Parts: sequence; C-alpha cells; structure tokens
Amino acid sequence: MTDDDTPMTDGGTDDEARTDGGPPATVPPDDETPTWSDRKERSQGLAQLTYQYFERSRREDEDLRAESTYVERDVLGFPTWPHETLRNLAITSFFVGIMLLVAALMPAHFGEPANPGSTPAIILPDWYLYWSFGLLKLNPLNPELAVLDGNIAIGNEFLGIIAHGIIFGVIGLVPFLNKGSARRPVEQPFWAAVGVTGVILAFTLAALAIQNFFPISLDLLITLTFILPVLGGIITYAVLKTMREGYMYDLNRRYYMLRPPK
Amino acid sequence: MSLKKQDEMDHNAWLKNQDLTVIETAFLTTLIWLDKRLRIVDYLELLETMYYRANLQMPKSHTEQYDLDNKFWYWYPLYSLGSLSIVAYLVAAVSGALLGFYYSPSTAGAAAQGDPTAAYDSLVMIMTDVQFGYMLRSIHRWAAQFMVAAVFLHMLRVYFTGSYKEPREVNWILGIVLIGLTLLFGFSGYVLPWKQLSYWAAQIGVEMALATPIVGEWAAQLLFGGFTLGQATLVRMYILHVFVLPFVVTGLIALHVGIVWVQGIAEPH
Repeated sequence: MTDDDTPMTDGGTDDEARTDGGPPATVPPDDETPTWSDRKERSQGLAQLTYQYFERSRREDEDLRAESTYVERDVLGFPTWPHETLRNLAITSFFVGIMLLVAALMPAHFGEPANPGSTPAIILPDWYLYWSFGLLKLNPLNPELAVLDGNIAIGNEFLGIIAHGIIFGVIGLVPFLNKGSARRPVEQPFWAAVGVTGVILAFTLAALAIQNFFPISLDLLITLTFILPVLGGIITYAVLKTMREGYMYDLNRRYYMLRPPK
Repeated sequence: MSLKKQDEMDHNAWLKNQDLTVIETAFLTTLIWLDKRLRIVDYLELLETMYYRANLQMPKSHTEQYDLDNKFWYWYPLYSLGSLSIVAYLVAAVSGALLGFYYSPSTAGAAAQGDPTAAYDSLVMIMTDVQFGYMLRSIHRWAAQFMVAAVFLHMLRVYFTGSYKEPREVNWILGIVLIGLTLLFGFSGYVLPWKQLSYWAAQIGVEMALATPIVGEWAAQLLFGGFTLGQATLVRMYILHVFVLPFVVTGLIALHVGIVWVQGIAEPH
C-alpha cells in the first residue's frame, strides 16, 4: 500500500487508478463482521435464545413430518390455468356486473342540502351502521348512577360507546376463548349459538335504531332486542345438539377417516 | 488490462443460436436488457429461495383431499366473499377517483342556512351535467354497499367455519380492524355530499366523540375539526376518505391477504 490513509473501499489493487473496471469489487469481511458460523455460535442473550428457538422449532417441524402418516400425492386439483383463472374471472365479472346492474336500476338517492337550523325528523346512517346507531339508543338501560352534583355518571352516548367497545372486544377475544380443532357448527354447538346470537342481535339493534317504524312500545322493543338473540341462540344450540349424532356419523365416515381429531 | 470493452457472456450471441419463438425472444431480450442494468436475476433467485423456504405449495383442492362429493361449487360463493370485497373495493376506488375530478369539498356558497353549498352543488353537477355522472355516483355508492355487505358476510363465514382458530388469531383481529376502517370509510363518504342526512350523521359523530371522557374532545378536533360542523369537518372527512383511509386500508388488505397466503387457506369443510 502506498497510501495507508485512504481507505480502500473497492477491494482492488492499489497500484494505479483503474479505468477498465478491474476485478470484481467485493468487500472482504473485516474482523467486525460475524461470519455465518460465528452467528450460529452466538452464546449469549437474546441472540442465543432466538437461535435456540429456531433450532427447536425446525427440529419439531422435521419430527412432525417424519412421524406423519400423511401421504404426499401429486396434486389432482384444478389447474390454475385455465380452470381456476376462468372461474375466478367468471365470478369477478359476474359480481361486477351485478353491481353495475343494481347501480343502474336503483340509482343513489339524493336529499336536501344540509341545514344546521332544522333537525330532520328521522336521522339515519347507512344500513350497515344501524346496529351501531341502535347502541346509542340504550338510554332506558342506563343505570343512571348519580354523582355528587346530580349529573349521571355515564352519559347515554358514552354508554353506547362502551357497548361498542364491549362488542368489538368480545369479537376480538373469540379466537383466544374457542380453542380446539372443531370447525363446523355441529362440532361446536355452543360457539355456533353464540354466533347466531350475535347476528340476531345486530338485526334487533338495527330495529331499535329505526324504532319509529315499529308500532310497539319502546320497553317491549328493548326487551325483544335482547330476548330474541338469546332465544335464537338457544334454539340453534338445541337444533345442533339434535343434529349432531347423525351428522357426526357422516363426518366420521368421510372426513375424520383422513384426519382424526386431536 | 485494456480499455476495450469485453463481453465474456455474450448473451445476444447465445440468444441467436437458440431456436426460439418470437415471444420467447422478446421475453429473453427484455429480461437480459433489464438484468444487465438491475441484476434482476439475483432478485428472482432470492424470491425463488424464499418461496421454497416458506414451504409454499399448491394446496390440494379440498374435494380432492377429503374425498368429498362435488360440494366444492356448493360452498364456493362463501369462500370467495373475501376476494369479492376486494373487487368491490377496486370498483369503488376507480369510480371514486373519477368522482374526485368533479367534487369540491367546500361549504362555501350558502347565503342562508339550508342553502346548497359548493359541495352539494358539485354533486348536483355530477348527477345532472356530467356525462354518465349519475351512473358514476350510483356505481360508487353501490360498490361501497356491496363491499360492506361482503365484508360482513366474509366475517360470518370465517366465524361459522372456525377459520379464525389457532394460528390465525392475528388475522382475525386484523379483520376486525379492517371492518372498523371499512365502516369509517362508509361514514366519511356519507358525510361528503353535505346533505341533511350527511350533516346530522356527522353531528351524531361529534356528539359521540364529545361524550367520551378524556380523549373525546381531542378526537372531535382531530376527526371533525372542532365541536361544531363546518368547512373544517368537510375537508377532514374528505382527506380521510380520499387520502388517509385508501392508503391504510389498501396496506392492511395487502397484509391480510399476505398472511392468508403464508398461513394457507383454512380448509373449507
């Protein structure tokens, strides 16, 4: 090296400035860069733990594969082209076509311009928010806990917001509560009943949101809002329990022959 | 060393020696041209390695794997709801971009309370003056309705077939977030025409925000631009609808589908 102060970044020779590109410029590993075997031998802290876990999970995977009696066969399913592609294209264009048709047959409604001075008799969001709007109309259920100055502790709208939080929270917790390999409603009547309860609750809450259209008293409507879903859930549970035996016979014969339940 | 340019791997000569069709020649020429500049082959190799590392393989069709009768078509519509919501999302995106050419998010122009604003007038213009404008708005609105419906039904399908179970909890929660964002998409779009129902729906939104303790006022200012509705509300809803949510939702959909790809489809039963 003629000039030690200048760092050589191209890893090439130092004798003259090259104009023809020279040999390929690779960066030689310096002492700081760990080689792959160094990395493997890391023996402390999180790096070690991570590495150990990776090794373990890889070994577990290999063991499971070795133990498995699953027979790998050539795929006899539908080929991507043309079968799968054409089917997807057909379904997609059918769906888009339906959308265009509906858009042409039922054009979007348009109302009066906004007027902050006059509240309309009926305020409604789009249909998909009816359930959410219904949750804001639970005031009769408000415990009305009075605090010192006489204001109620939980405002009616805040009650609705809490209800939103509970609903989203419960839905989010479902995978952590429902474990096991059951997949079909008949295999898990309870969770199917919970699902049906939720669906009916969405509809009854929507009905609560448009309560003006129902010629029954508000108390009855609110009672029905919560009784009907539970009733639906109980019926679902009973029906699935009854169906179960006959259905499981079929399942065991055709499905679990190939993949026994854990 | 000489300054003469050397080409040790003469790809073009190699190409000439091959007996290729026009399409193959065009493909290889393009690939070589790009590869000389961008080293595409390296990335392709990387992708290929990743592909095999991740153990991705074409799944057997369910009917084949479990020796079922031909029930596949019977259940197929339920298993395409996820992609149908993406299709509706795309239709809404395209029609929405076209609507955006004509819409103006402004409450100016109302002399008295209840007069049409610029936003309202631009919608009237779209529906009466613009060629196919009425159809365009109708398509946008119905695509939104279809997307929300498909998303809800998709969630029900996932619930009742237990597809959210063990390795897929994260995707289930991601789906809940996506449903919430879809509803927010719908809500912000509902406000944009600035008609009576838009205004009062937004009013309920503000009241809901204000009813929340601690973060409520902050949220009302962030989302609605204040405690009373006006120009700031409309612009915030507009930016939410056409800028923030499209990026966030598109990104999350990509992640959602990516996780499905990596984890495999929960087999239909």
